[in-house]
Amino acid sequence: MSTLRRLWAIPTARFALVVLAGVAFLAVFGSALAPHDPLKQYTDRVLEGPSGDHLLGTDYLGRDVLSRLMAGTRLSVIGAAEAVVIGAVLGVPTGLASAWVGPRLEWLALRISDTLVILPFTVFAIAVAGTLGNGLQQAMFAIGVLISPIFFRVTRAVALGLRTQQYVEAAELMGASQWWTLRTHIWTKVLPNVAVTSAQAAGAALLVVASLSFLGLGVTPPAPTWGGMLASDLGYLTQQTWAPVFPGLLMMATVGSLNLLADAIRDATGAGTSARRRRRTPATSRKERSGAVVS
Amino acid sequence: MTRTRTPLAATQSRRGFLGLSLAAGLVLSLEACGGGSSGSSGGSGTNTLTWAWQLPTTWDPVTSSAGSDVQMLALAYDPITALDEQGNAVPWLAESWAYDAAGTTVTFTLRSGLKFSDGTPLNAAAVAKSIERGRSQDGSLIAPQMKSIKSVAASGELDVVIELTEVDYQYPLLFAGKTGMVVNPAAFEKDVDALATQPAGSGPFAVTSYVQNDHASLKRNPNFFAADEITIKALELYPQQDPATVVAGVQSGQFNLARISGAQVEAAEAAGLDVQVIDSMFVSVLDVNASMAPFDDPAVVEAMKFAIDREKLKEVVGFGVGDVNYQPFPPGYVGYNEELADVYAYDPEKAKQLLADAGHTSPVKAVFTSSGQSAPAVELIQAQLKDVGIDATIETIPQTQHTQLVYLEHSKALTYDGFAGRESPVQAFQVLFGAEGLMNPARQTDPKLEAQLEKVKQTPTDSPEYAGLLQEATRIAVTTFPNTFLQLMPTIVIRKGVSELPASPSLRRFEGVTVS
Repeated sequence: MSTLRRLWAIPTARFALVVLAGVAFLAVFGSALAPHDPLKQYTDRVLEGPSGDHLLGTDYLGRDVLSRLMAGTRLSVIGAAEAVVIGAVLGVPTGLASAWVGPRLEWLALRISDTLVILPFTVFAIAVAGTLGNGLQQAMFAIGVLISPIFFRVTRAVALGLRTQQYVEAAELMGASQWWTLRTHIWTKVLPNVAVTSAQAAGAALLVVASLSFLGLGVTPPAPTWGGMLASDLGYLTQQTWAPVFPGLLMMATVGSLNLLADAIRDATGAGTSARRRRRTPATSRKERSGAVVS
Repeated sequence: MTRTRTPLAATQSRRGFLGLSLAAGLVLSLEACGGGSSGSSGGSGTNTLTWAWQLPTTWDPVTSSAGSDVQMLALAYDPITALDEQGNAVPWLAESWAYDAAGTTVTFTLRSGLKFSDGTPLNAAAVAKSIERGRSQDGSLIAPQMKSIKSVAASGELDVVIELTEVDYQYPLLFAGKTGMVVNPAAFEKDVDALATQPAGSGPFAVTSYVQNDHASLKRNPNFFAADEITIKALELYPQQDPATVVAGVQSGQFNLARISGAQVEAAEAAGLDVQVIDSMFVSVLDVNASMAPFDDPAVVEAMKFAIDREKLKEVVGFGVGDVNYQPFPPGYVGYNEELADVYAYDPEKAKQLLADAGHTSPVKAVFTSSGQSAPAVELIQAQLKDVGIDATIETIPQTQHTQLVYLEHSKALTYDGFAGRESPVQAFQVLFGAEGLMNPARQTDPKLEAQLEKVKQTPTDSPEYAGLLQEATRIAVTTFPNTFLQLMPTIVIRKGVSELPASPSLRRFEGVTVS
């Protein structure tokens, strides 16, 4: 609770949480609260501007833009969340295991992580969609797999640092089991870093989901998504120059808020600072040693 | 102290980097704004046509796998004949042709003095060798159209004599397209694979450089037989541009000729560009696989034909451009059947009744495949089908997989597609309804149609009976086969400093076209 209080004390965090709460509300209730059926085509009212009937106008098939934005939130957000969950599930336990279990697993996990890191997100997702079929689940699985090295590396870096802490070594000397040590001393320190990474990864995943929808992959039309709406709007810029602004703003607000939240979690929990401090320690020590020799 | 300073340092570092990035971006943007004169001028004032259209799958007409390639290939190659605005064969490389009395031998007489772009003579021997390669080379995609050729031989310098295994009066029409494009034998005898990137023909232009998937540079061919009519000195060919940028591309001078859709007409006119709508033979069509559920039930197919409001498609998707059409040929074409003018006019009640009579009490499930060609049309048709009780789920496939999945594997039940027309109507029937037809997904044939097409082939194209026989074949095909024709899609081009293009329905040609 104290962490949450520290988080709420940061103004940018409050702003981000309010925006994200709004997005979450839309994801849950957007379809139900939409003023029109998001798939209903009013073909006599195609590409109309904002009016009393259609507050944000209609699209190229006469569908209500506001309703599609509201209903599209769910698929856009769920897609990103799904990818983050898959990435965390694959990356966090592997990161812990690579620091705790023997060198063989460590070597294998590092090689797999290195391989995944070099694969470009969107291209890999397109390849997976081409192989497994074009669907949101397939695309999110691909993105989740590619996100997993981020979780793996963050978790591993923190775990490696914590493993050499005196209180961890003391616990091990006193006969504590690995599982107890992990649960009691490591997990609570790793969790803030995972939270920061999750927030950042969610923003990245949201953009990739939007990019894939933009390319016609992931979500099957006519289901609305922010990226899909943005893509189709670009074909009718003559008629509605302002149309891409709405899905663009929603995406910008969501991704921006996730990044602000990630920064705020880091500041509130101190996540990342200990790792950086530890990374500097050997260099500092070398300087000190070399300084000693020179003097 | 460390915990408070480190994030601040990191933030400052990020801010510094961000500031540098913004500054660099600003400088580059200003440079881009002010540096317009150093970019491509789009050929304005240089008699260069910069054309945003499409690049071919290959520059070899024998291995070309797309019907639409014929447009680009016609820049570099000449066919033996050409088509007039009604789709009749007219002289091109051949100034005349004649069948013998039996109809099994046709002799094409070439113009005299023809040359390939490299200056070598284009004579009867060269034409015979080119046809022979097209019908015998491994991997030739035009060979199936020349199955009835028994032999090809040169007779003298100008006559090409083709002996047939059966009566077939379609060859003068067939030779107006890729099948009749003459390739320089010196090129394919030396390195046939090089033709894919280095065309060797006699057309109005010669390719000087080609960067795959990027652009092709061509220059005027002084050896083209009608070179006097070509005033364009150079032609830069680019792929079709994104709808969001195409008008701006022409307005800015990046291109001076481009293709647009109905949605961009308003913007092009507002930008002061010349908009030209040219009738074409392109018909949008639903490829229906009658061997796959639910279209293995003829009632579902017929209900679907009545369920689609084509007028609404034209109005909403085409922005009023185009014409509703229920058959593969446009009005005025010899194969167009007037009786089919309203054969599947929108009638949702009839569609519902057809489904009910066939025992479909709950929505009929179907998968509707789209390769993203016209997402609005696909979504509109899906909604119209749903209104009558056909619940189609849209499946999007990459455009690059369309040929493989739809044409070759026949693995899709319902696909939105377009038919670009063919020079010979019999060839068009083979593509759409033939046993090996690419756009006949179920590869099902109809004996009545086969018999009718035999009659068409055996009837001279100038015979009074020809039109009637062909139109009857159209009637049989449209009312028997599941392919559902939707609308004629004219070609809309925007021009800047380019004179009006000739209104040929099959090809964009540049004889007499000027660039200022």
